[in-house]
Amino acid sequence: MKKSNKNLLLVIFLGIVVCLPFLLDDYWLHVAILTLFYVIMASSWNLLAGYTGQVSFAHAAFAAIGAYISGILSVQMSISPLITLLFGSVIAAIFGLGLGLLCLKMGGIYLSLTTLGFSEIVHIIIKNEYEITRGTMGLEVPNLLGFYSKTAYFYIMLLVTFIIIFFLAKLIKSDHGLKFKSVLNDELAASSIGIDTVKVRVIAFTISSAIAGFAGGLYGHYLLLITPEMSSLSQMFMILAMTIIGGMGTLSGPIAGAVFLQVLSEYIRIFGKFHLLLFGVISLLVIKFAPGGIVGLYRKITQSKTDPLKIETQSKYDY
Amino acid sequence: MSSLFVNIFNGIVIGTIYALSALGISLILGAMNVMNFAHGEFYIFGAYFSYFFSRSLGFSPLIAILLSLGLIFWIGFLVEKTLIHSTYGNLMDSLIITFILSIVLQNIALIIFGPYPKKPPSWIIGSINVLDLFYYSSQRLITFIVAVLLLILFFIVMNKTWFGKIVRAISADREVASLMGINCDKVNSFSFGFGVALAGVAGAIISPIFGVTPMGGVGIGLTSVVVVVLGGMGSFKGCVIGGLLLGIIENIGVAYISSGYRNIFGFIILILILLFRPSGLFGTTIK
Repeated sequence: MKKSNKNLLLVIFLGIVVCLPFLLDDYWLHVAILTLFYVIMASSWNLLAGYTGQVSFAHAAFAAIGAYISGILSVQMSISPLITLLFGSVIAAIFGLGLGLLCLKMGGIYLSLTTLGFSEIVHIIIKNEYEITRGTMGLEVPNLLGFYSKTAYFYIMLLVTFIIIFFLAKLIKSDHGLKFKSVLNDELAASSIGIDTVKVRVIAFTISSAIAGFAGGLYGHYLLLITPEMSSLSQMFMILAMTIIGGMGTLSGPIAGAVFLQVLSEYIRIFGKFHLLLFGVISLLVIKFAPGGIVGLYRKITQSKTDPLKIETQSKYDY
Repeated sequence: MSSLFVNIFNGIVIGTIYALSALGISLILGAMNVMNFAHGEFYIFGAYFSYFFSRSLGFSPLIAILLSLGLIFWIGFLVEKTLIHSTYGNLMDSLIITFILSIVLQNIALIIFGPYPKKPPSWIIGSINVLDLFYYSSQRLITFIVAVLLLILFFIVMNKTWFGKIVRAISADREVASLMGINCDKVNSFSFGFGVALAGVAGAIISPIFGVTPMGGVGIGLTSVVVVVLGGMGSFKGCVIGGLLLGIIENIGVAYISSGYRNIFGFIILILILLFRPSGLFGTTIK
């Protein structure tokens, strides 16, 4: 597709998104805000899995850490949520840094193992320390703005999403992004040309944890009630499924996946208990038959029209 | 004092179950270089199938366990053929696929069997006086004996039979093994089936004591993985010793600290091992 065409599409898409509060009723606006949360989560998880090849299972746990730290600080010390939000993000980043330093040296399996273990620890602690977190009953937290407005919250979430996506796009195109990709493609070759692969991974891990913590805090102060469910493996699975169905290792993939799964889950709400199963089956099918996800399929279709030879050379993790 | 003995003995009983399940993970990891995150789900399905055959169809416990063992083996075999096979050599894809598989299996269990615990009938009732120290439930004792017999059987299979020889050859060096005329693809499917069947049989024999819930697999799957790391990746002996050790530590921790934190002790051990001795007790690190 031509560059100008692509830009035009992007502008139209953004225009529609900005007008959403005027087009949607209250309920769908709520869905839109949740979708934006998942867009941030999936995009930052994608920075890890899609660009540096580290499968972390603690992303939902980092979001829960951000939400709970921010929530507890704002409830118990009555500090404005605007400030505690940053605290939540910083604490999540510190945990991310620690976890990263602990296991990134060892590579693939150990990282996945330890993050899975960490995620369970966070879940168990939140459930058990009910004197502080109020356990499974959920913690009531104050509103971010002091007043309740879905439209205002939508624009805040949208702004944050824009900034984060913009930041991720810049990061990936920068030298750091090149390092990320070199670590993904061939770790040995990357280290042989002087890239400190462990450092690169730790940086990516810390950035993505900080983003998850921030997103979690925002989400908590919107829902006004945070529960241990936030750190559960089903939540982690949603983030993973969105990234995979959208297309791992692309910027637009997690966005497409998050929108697709959120809208789909609204339409299949009647089959409540089947929806995780359905998403699981869809993502298994996607991995098996269309590893590039929605974005990969779209590229295949648009490219086969213009140049049938190009598909063969398209790498799975091409930006 | 007798309560300490009971706790330690409980730990040993559950430890043998951890060991069985961890041996499955270790076998799959060694033969295929795949970390199976859906292992705990095969464990709960082993328990559910034995519940189904014994409670709903009225078979005797032994036959129910054998049937569920066979069923789990074939499910594992088919899962390897359809899902895992194509990811061979790509560690990240196999991690993601087995994780998704675990969520799918959990939800299938939830839909078929419902959220409440299910318990197959006990094999035996009453309790036995152990050395005049404490009374111990006969069911637990017999479960322990069966688990030990299964562990012995596993080591015989691995060390004395043709299959064990092939699997060990592949773990040592896949390329040379295939040069010697071993059909690695076939062995992969068999070892995945065999590995998850170990988890299944562990679930089937312990479920008369603890019952089984759809989410029960998460904890056991993670614990088995911790056991594998604790024992040292690639070491079968390490799995048994690691399993027993973890079982005892967990039970003492639950008794003297808090039962809500049962799974946390394992993870703390995991983090300590990663910090101080990444190769585990008997193993080597793998890349």
